[in-house]
Amino acid sequence: MEEQRADLQQVKQVDAMVASPLDLLFNPKSVAIVGATPRENSVGGVITKNLLTKFKGKVYLVNPKYDEVNGTKYYKSVLDIQDNVDLAVIAVPAPAVLKVTEESIKKGVRVVIIISGGFSEVGEDGAKLEEELRRVVQNHIRVLGPNCIGVYNAFNGLDTFFLPEDRMGRPRPGPVALISQSGAVAGAILDWAARRNIGVGLAVNYGNKLDISESEILEYFARDNRVKVIVMYMEGLKYPGEGKKLLEVMKEVSSIKPIVVYKAGRTKAATGAVKSHTAALAGNYEIYHAMLRQANVIEADNITDAFDMAKALATQPLPRGNRVLVLTDSGGMGIQAVDALDMRGLQVPELSESLQEILRKQLPPLAVTRNPIDLTGSATDAMYKFVLDTVLPTSYADMALIIALMQIPGLSINLGNYIVEAGRFKKPIVVVSFGGNEYVAKFENNLEENGIPVYHAPHRAAKALWALYEYAKIKGVAKEW
Amino acid sequence: MNPIITKALEEGRYKLLEHESFELLRQYNIPVPDFALVQNVDEALKVVKDIGYPVVLKVVSPDIIHKSDVGGVILNINNDDELKNACERIRNNIKEKSPYARISGFLLQRMVPEGLETIVGATKDPIFGHVIAFGLGGVMVEVLQDVSFRIVPITEDDARSMIREIKGYRLFNGYRNMLARDEEAIVYIITKFSELLSDNLNIVEADLNPVIVLERGKGAYAADARFIIGST
Repeated sequence: MEEQRADLQQVKQVDAMVASPLDLLFNPKSVAIVGATPRENSVGGVITKNLLTKFKGKVYLVNPKYDEVNGTKYYKSVLDIQDNVDLAVIAVPAPAVLKVTEESIKKGVRVVIIISGGFSEVGEDGAKLEEELRRVVQNHIRVLGPNCIGVYNAFNGLDTFFLPEDRMGRPRPGPVALISQSGAVAGAILDWAARRNIGVGLAVNYGNKLDISESEILEYFARDNRVKVIVMYMEGLKYPGEGKKLLEVMKEVSSIKPIVVYKAGRTKAATGAVKSHTAALAGNYEIYHAMLRQANVIEADNITDAFDMAKALATQPLPRGNRVLVLTDSGGMGIQAVDALDMRGLQVPELSESLQEILRKQLPPLAVTRNPIDLTGSATDAMYKFVLDTVLPTSYADMALIIALMQIPGLSINLGNYIVEAGRFKKPIVVVSFGGNEYVAKFENNLEENGIPVYHAPHRAAKALWALYEYAKIKGVAKEW
Repeated sequence: MNPIITKALEEGRYKLLEHESFELLRQYNIPVPDFALVQNVDEALKVVKDIGYPVVLKVVSPDIIHKSDVGGVILNINNDDELKNACERIRNNIKEKSPYARISGFLLQRMVPEGLETIVGATKDPIFGHVIAFGLGGVMVEVLQDVSFRIVPITEDDARSMIREIKGYRLFNGYRNMLARDEEAIVYIITKFSELLSDNLNIVEADLNPVIVLERGKGAYAADARFIIGST
């Protein structure tokens, strides 16, 4: 009796937490691939292989052409699958999409990813087909796509990116989420991120946006605790009214976690006769730029910038002000960092005479102690540690930019540990490392694995600190100076 | 829909007449110089007593887009004689340079003190709706494209940040012998303008140009306004 009641209780709880279609899109327990095939290097083939080998859930293959391949059963239709299907991935030729979508609705599937192209992106006939599809799905099923590359979830192995693993590396699970308007760009970014060991846990491309839009995905990522920062690659919106909606959603989401956007297509297109000053000045990009400002979004100038900033935003605490300690073993690199910081409105304040006196007692006579602090070529791990422990607790530094050129004989891998330990001061730290040898790579990996972002040029590190300061202002943690 | 806009659309106009534009701004508490629409010299001489010299006289016509080009504007009128003269001169100028233009009347407008010239404008984007622009007047906005935008509706904070975003913002804090400017007055105008646009979706484009910003604490006002309207 008691047991039965407990069971009922559980059922009720589950009912109360019915998964949303977006939950099912990113975290399904079971997936059907419609258009599954053993043919390698075809769209359906890559998806089939990816899901069969990596997805931590049930996979059902649907294709009337096959009964069984290598011991895996193929179904004629989703309707033949006995169990629940949370998500259907549709990769069949455009003319067949309508039929298999209808079958998915009949089966009770609540969300589909339509990979197939051949809709509004190909012209009038395709647009008609898309309209028909819209009518069929309305209020019955949620749709990502059509004409999209779909979803990549590093946490559960859900991967509908139809690019073979040997062509596109998959990034490790991590705190960055990517929303990309372009599928090809998404694939290239993930490949790039994988090589640089950037943790992109979730990525999505929404294609023609028949139903599920970037706004809805943003809202979903805002609630997902695994996501610490959202990177967005966008080209442009297309539906009237979409702009205001996206502005509202971005404003709300950016108050919860940072959004970094790279908007491509910035040049001004001439549009008809212009009557007023204002209309002449308001190019397409200017309006997007305004929207991003208004929504407290951090704007990147290119996609590398976006990830440079995302790395810091995902791992570092927010600074309370804009004062930066620059600690270097190379005067040349130090001055580049100061230039880059200054151009972004960050300060490199000179340390007080008394603080410098303390530093001078321990550092070699040639070291420069004003800030930037230049330990010169005779730098050692211990000197870095001493400076960090002495300066970071003071009000002269809200954050630190550490330059460590590991070519110097006095430095060892252990320096990385000291830098990681300096995280206890709860001030953001970024590291500039540059070079090509194995030793350098080891040093960098150690830092990144322990949550300290590494950059290969001072201006990139400076920009990352700027992004932290910008977001600190947005959150009201830091004051405007 | 605002009756001023309804009337213009009914008359098949895509542009508000000058006094209509001022009237619309007044409804939203956006400061404009004292003005009156008059039909002839006698009326002008009567209303000028309330407005007070010096005044500007402008022709009001649905057929004339650039009033100054056809001699339709006379500045700095200081007394009754000059005012009589000005009416006459404008009539003659129009007769000569734009003989078929209908004359709806004359706008008598108080000449106002000089200040920092700025532009507050709007355009309607198909995706985002109304977008407000702010920039410094004249060369700055056109040649240097030193202008900032926000999407309607905008908050006071948005307005403040769009003012501070332009490169010419330094002029607001005083420069050499120029006094600091009334930034808050512009914040007020921009937020009120945002309200005006939210309420009137038929506005397709608008320019308040120039908006004159006086010294800190003394306000700002739109010295000229242009509204282009459409059926939606």
